[in-house]
Amino acid sequence: MWLRLPLRSLLRNPRRTALTLAIIALGTAVSFVVIGFVASSVAIIQKNTVDQFGNLEIASPSLFDRTATGYDYLIPADRLARVTVLLRADPRVTGFSPQLSFSGLAVVGTTTRVVRATGLVPGNAALDYNAFVVEGKGLEPTDTDRVLVGRTLATRLGLRPGDYLSLTVTTVDGAYNVSPLKVAGIFRFSVSEVESQQIYLPLGFAQTLLATDSVDTVVVDLRAVNETNAVAASLGQAVASAGLPLSARTYEVLSPFYRDLLAYFNVLFGFLLLAVGVLVFFIVLQVTTMSFLERTREVGTVRALGTTQGGVFRLFLSESALLGLFGGLLGLVFGALLGSGFNAARIAWQPPGTVVPVFLTVTLSFGGAWPSFAVSWMATVLSALYPALHASRLRVVDALRST
Amino acid sequence: MEQEDARCQQGEAATVETKGLKKVYRFGHEEVQALRGVDFKVDRGDFTVINGPSGSGKTTLLNLLACIDRPTEGEVRIDGQNTASLSEGELAALRRQKIGLIFQTFNLIPVLSAFENAEYPLLLARVGRAERKRRVASLLEAVGLADLSRRRPDDLSGGQRQRVAVARALVSDPKLVLADEPTANLDSDTARQVMELLRRLNEDRCVAFVVVTHDPAVAGYARRAVRIHDGRLLEGDARVASATAS
Repeated sequence: MWLRLPLRSLLRNPRRTALTLAIIALGTAVSFVVIGFVASSVAIIQKNTVDQFGNLEIASPSLFDRTATGYDYLIPADRLARVTVLLRADPRVTGFSPQLSFSGLAVVGTTTRVVRATGLVPGNAALDYNAFVVEGKGLEPTDTDRVLVGRTLATRLGLRPGDYLSLTVTTVDGAYNVSPLKVAGIFRFSVSEVESQQIYLPLGFAQTLLATDSVDTVVVDLRAVNETNAVAASLGQAVASAGLPLSARTYEVLSPFYRDLLAYFNVLFGFLLLAVGVLVFFIVLQVTTMSFLERTREVGTVRALGTTQGGVFRLFLSESALLGLFGGLLGLVFGALLGSGFNAARIAWQPPGTVVPVFLTVTLSFGGAWPSFAVSWMATVLSALYPALHASRLRVVDALRST
Repeated sequence: MEQEDARCQQGEAATVETKGLKKVYRFGHEEVQALRGVDFKVDRGDFTVINGPSGSGKTTLLNLLACIDRPTEGEVRIDGQNTASLSEGELAALRRQKIGLIFQTFNLIPVLSAFENAEYPLLLARVGRAERKRRVASLLEAVGLADLSRRRPDDLSGGQRQRVAVARALVSDPKLVLADEPTANLDSDTARQVMELLRRLNEDRCVAFVVVTHDPAVAGYARRAVRIHDGRLLEGDARVASATAS
């Protein structure tokens, strides 16, 4: 009866109940779809960030914090060997690659650009930019004075595969060094900043240019993105225990853009859910107040028959809880259909900070479903609190007199 | 009938008793005295009709007897228990256990069937399903609605609705049934049938009935008739010779 009565009460005025359900469902569906869209966007941006930084990097804190003096942040070969041992011992690590980054001047004819150069191990899957090459070819393990150039940078310098650029750098001892490098390929990358500034060359050649056998960073790939923080913590402890002056930082920490974007999306989430919650709350409040008022005499009757104030309160609250439940579930179904429709429509768009258009995707997951449902359900139940409390506290005789 | 009285009343405390009952309504600065010191007693198995014109205080008295309102002064005892100090929750429990109510406008819950309406007080009393089914079926049979138990109030006539209300009032075996103008919304033939039903149930079950009405015809069914005027009982404890007005 305690379920039957609220259930049937919902059907007293089917039109009003249908309208209320539609509002709750619409709020839930909008939240579900927007959360799904944002989740897929974040996933794309996360993947791009991981492609750029790896899951995490191990380097000197002074490099991470930009407090280094000269090249004091470099990791000499013996330390790198000890780090390698630690990484190989962790089953969550699927690959790692040392790299050496530095700034230099790229000169082609009379055009000069400041570039960010990174020496990497060609063929190492942990840091492989060959997959992004759109013109020419990638770097081979046997390559020496070859270079991959970002697409935007190549356009600005007028470079094509097979062309040469001249790279001027400062060695670790402070001397100038200049070398010609042949463009092996031009790469496209999802982060515009990388495309416009970055060149990649074999690590060995980069070390020769800087006159060092050290590296500055070890890029680490993991079997799962969601293990990143845990692995960073344990590796950080391990290197500290080993007495190495190094630390591990995740892609999230290394990319202020990703961090800011995530914070922005979280605020957006908050506002969206708040807006949906407030909208549902006030509309349902109006409907429940009207619905409960119409049943004032019924409240008097059930109270006169011996129902307690708490009993009346629970009765009305259950009604709203059921309304929220059905509206929320309906909203999830509607949202899933809407999201599937968007996914099928293959609408192209470009996520912030990326250069490659992607299809608009709505991720329909439990992670997106439950907050949408919870907010609508809670707003519905909360909207019934005051009317239910008011109804339960009516004087029985007054309620019975109501027409 | 006297034998019946004796059987019902033997060794029992008064089912309901009031002493110096006063009720004052305040409308702004104005005070209206609805009851002016009512001493009233109903024994087990009584069938009392309180008769009086509109505004005489009969519904106020009934509300106080039903413990759905509190007196300004005086006391109400139900089955020997003084209700003055009881909390809202305790009063609800008292109503649930000892009082059945019949309303002028039937006051059935429209979304529940006849069976479910009659079952409602038993759910409040947490009676088991099988027992509920047995008691409701038996009462609906007694009020002649066994075949209409699945119908909702909207699908029943006025007389049938009032019969459901009667079944609901009696289903929890109360000591006292209070009826407020139970025939006011019924045609005279149906009113007669309902009153006869009330009398029959009163006799069969030894339940005290207090019926409030302004219809003189209803008074004819009383074993005891009381007249109320301007908040005072005029004929304190007069016995009516004939119980039925057939």
